[in-house]
Amino acid sequence: MSDDLLDLALGIAGRASGSEAVESFVTHERDFQVKVYEGEVESLTSAEPRGAGVRVVSKANVGFAFTTDLSDDGITALVKAARDNATHATPDEAVALAEPSDEPPAQITGLFDDAQPSVLPEDKVAFAVALEGATRAADTRIRNVEEAVYSDSISHVAIANSAGLAGSYKRSDAWCYSVAIAEEDGDTQIGFEFDLARGITSLDPGTVGLRAAERGLGVLGARKIPSARMPVVFDPYTAGQFLGVLGSALTGEAVQKGRSLFAGRIGEEVATSNLALVDDGRAEGAPGSAPWDAEGVPTQRTEVIKDGVLRSFLYDIVSARHEGRRSTGNAARSGFKSAPGPSPSNLALDPTGESREEVLRRAGRALLVQDFHGVHSGANSVTGDFSVGATGHLLENGEPTQAVKEVTIAAPMLDILRGIEAVAGDRRWLPFGGSFGGATTLIANMTVAGG
Amino acid sequence: MLTEEVIKKVLAAAAGNGATAELFVEDRRSTALRMDDSRVEDVASGVDIGAGVRVVSGDRASYAYTNVLTLEALLDTARAARAGLGRGGEQAAVDLRRAGSPVKHPVRLPPENIGADDKAAALRAADDAARATGAEVRQVVASYSDVRQKILIASSDGLLAEDDRTRVRFAVQVVAARDGDIATGFDAPGHSGGYELLEKFPAAEVGSKAAAKAVRMLEARPSPAGQFPVVLAPGSGGVLIHEACGHGLEADALVKHASVYADRRGERFGSDSVTIVDDGADLGAWGSVGVDDEGTPAQRTVLFDRGVLVGHLSDLRSARQIGHPPTGNGRRQSYAYLPIVRMTNTYLLPGPDDPDAILESVERGVYAATFAGGEVNPATGNFVFGMAEAYMIENGAITHPIKGATLIGNGPEVLGAIDAVAADFDRKEGVCGKDGQAAPVTNGMSTVLLARMTVGGTEA
Repeated sequence: MSDDLLDLALGIAGRASGSEAVESFVTHERDFQVKVYEGEVESLTSAEPRGAGVRVVSKANVGFAFTTDLSDDGITALVKAARDNATHATPDEAVALAEPSDEPPAQITGLFDDAQPSVLPEDKVAFAVALEGATRAADTRIRNVEEAVYSDSISHVAIANSAGLAGSYKRSDAWCYSVAIAEEDGDTQIGFEFDLARGITSLDPGTVGLRAAERGLGVLGARKIPSARMPVVFDPYTAGQFLGVLGSALTGEAVQKGRSLFAGRIGEEVATSNLALVDDGRAEGAPGSAPWDAEGVPTQRTEVIKDGVLRSFLYDIVSARHEGRRSTGNAARSGFKSAPGPSPSNLALDPTGESREEVLRRAGRALLVQDFHGVHSGANSVTGDFSVGATGHLLENGEPTQAVKEVTIAAPMLDILRGIEAVAGDRRWLPFGGSFGGATTLIANMTVAGG
Repeated sequence: MLTEEVIKKVLAAAAGNGATAELFVEDRRSTALRMDDSRVEDVASGVDIGAGVRVVSGDRASYAYTNVLTLEALLDTARAARAGLGRGGEQAAVDLRRAGSPVKHPVRLPPENIGADDKAAALRAADDAARATGAEVRQVVASYSDVRQKILIASSDGLLAEDDRTRVRFAVQVVAARDGDIATGFDAPGHSGGYELLEKFPAAEVGSKAAAKAVRMLEARPSPAGQFPVVLAPGSGGVLIHEACGHGLEADALVKHASVYADRRGERFGSDSVTIVDDGADLGAWGSVGVDDEGTPAQRTVLFDRGVLVGHLSDLRSARQIGHPPTGNGRRQSYAYLPIVRMTNTYLLPGPDDPDAILESVERGVYAATFAGGEVNPATGNFVFGMAEAYMIENGAITHPIKGATLIGNGPEVLGAIDAVAADFDRKEGVCGKDGQAAPVTNGMSTVLLARMTVGGTEA
């Protein structure tokens, strides 16, 4: 099979001169999105974005540049810009590009839905119409559907470097979301739901629409509750967001730079003894999976916390070399426009063996948190402070009795982790810059501030 | 960027049969340097060129974009946009009229004329100054970025507009530690203009300001939770207006009745001291534009006039839907996005009060010096903001810093709670996210007293 993109990447890497090393990362996507409002297409976007990012390593200096101009002149300018940028960087002996492995990494399965490229645009539009319809039809109290969106992307990714590394893969992604506005007796609440898969046939507009509606309807009539300390249950969605905050503190780089609440805690018990936190860059069907990472290093499974003990951080090449170890395949990029940096791939707590119903029952009287508000400002992975707004339900004997809004929940993040008593088996993947597996999670105790 | 002949051919291929077409062309050159741990770690530059064709019929839009700007690729893009809508493509001819000159935001020192060595030296100066603030300073990340974005917008209605935007931002983040306590400080001035930003905000001053905040916050005690009077510091408090009022007055939310302010024009929400504007023409401000990303000239729009709701923000589509002229608030992150309604520079205008008198009027309350960011549900107006730097006010004076504090409430509620507005107006630059698109925005306000708000904290 000819691979024009890989040839392009190889051509760029081949421009290395003298003792410098050159790495090229090239992507070509076919993207589609349709947004429906009141049964009609509100907007539809189709595109074929493409571009290249280049790193030049000269002695111990690295520089980065990107371009969308893939003409010969454009690429000449690209390599020159990266080379010039390298001269302004502070030397770091740990800087290096990936070595080609003796064996190419095994391709992983479940990255591509072969049926997806031939799905017709009209079927995608019909999907979004059905999604909006299902949201609207769920209940007469659904006053409006603010957004109903279907989106997909087929991407071709190639990497090559002047040390001889070369690889490419294709992946397909399809996702959808719906935003329901529920209203009753002058109260308005928003319900958001989404799903993602490799192809449209694995998505169900009826289920997503209904769930969006239910999430809005469920918190109608919500009010504050008196301030108290009580058990808190994170829904899969909020549990995934919490892992997202933890994840940024779990990279080797964050730790080396003193930018992590986990610094100096390897070997320490940071969670209850039955808890395991695993990063798996090859998890089948998970959004963050790939055969190799953004530097071309094969992905792997890394036990971050095992039996409650912090075992390992997540590394890209440079952060690993700072500690004389090997990359864990955790380099990520947000596209060809960004240089690689360390990030979790698919990070999730292992389930502790109970169902969601069992976890809720065990919680007894607790706050079930459906949505966080203000996570990006209220959660600090350096200090470990966690104080965010919450919407959800007050549980009595595990049953929702009162919808709750405008409360703040707070506890130091390590206390939250140590307080995790159960992780249900209802894991779902949430793509929050890296992917995070959220499941219904019981935390023994947090401060709930109402008024 | 493209010849008028090419533009006309592309528009003619896209428009017609009841559909109008718009071509958006962008050439963006960017430079970014980052110093971390006293080392210049990232030096990056980018060339991002693309063009998109939007075909519009009634309330429906189809969009396609490409990174290849040949006539052939642009015509393919026009056909793809047309196909998405199922109409267009029979327009006979397009006349183009160049729009009048947009607001020009002066650029005295074009960043492309400043060497990377100078930019790296500025990072070094900020790093040195931050570390000189105290032994408690453990981490300093300084970053410099400049962007020059040239855009061209042409439509089958005959509009031809161009804008040439240069923005520079300098940011310093500091982590301080003492006896196991960790605190952070951040400062990040930016503007629409050139490298002269660093004359107005010398790198060393930005560094020491961020470091001083971090060191001060080491003394922070856990925030109490409950209902308190809240004093907002000049500048940073403006994010509250942005989140709690601005988003709800974006006309796309109003049209869909997804806003707490829908159908409430003319209603009083606050006292006479509450006048709020969005001003995309504010000379040199970070969120300013010459024309917006649909070619509408930047303007100043009054949202609340002495407490009464009088205005909204719109792009072309929502303006048509709402039956008012567009306000110049159609913005897009890049050619890869459809324009949506966005704020530019949103200000609570200064009032007559004395900031010291405001503080002295508070028996026990919270002084919110810097918000870490926030979010709001436009449908309900509910918001939550984290406070990056906050203090207790006791008996009319600031006593000690507090940590883990959040402000929780509702947009209309906060407008009603504004009891006093001082004259010490200041601006803070930020990046606003909406529908997955980022936009540079400025928030501005003076010292403001909120009579009573819910504060979230760790002390129940």
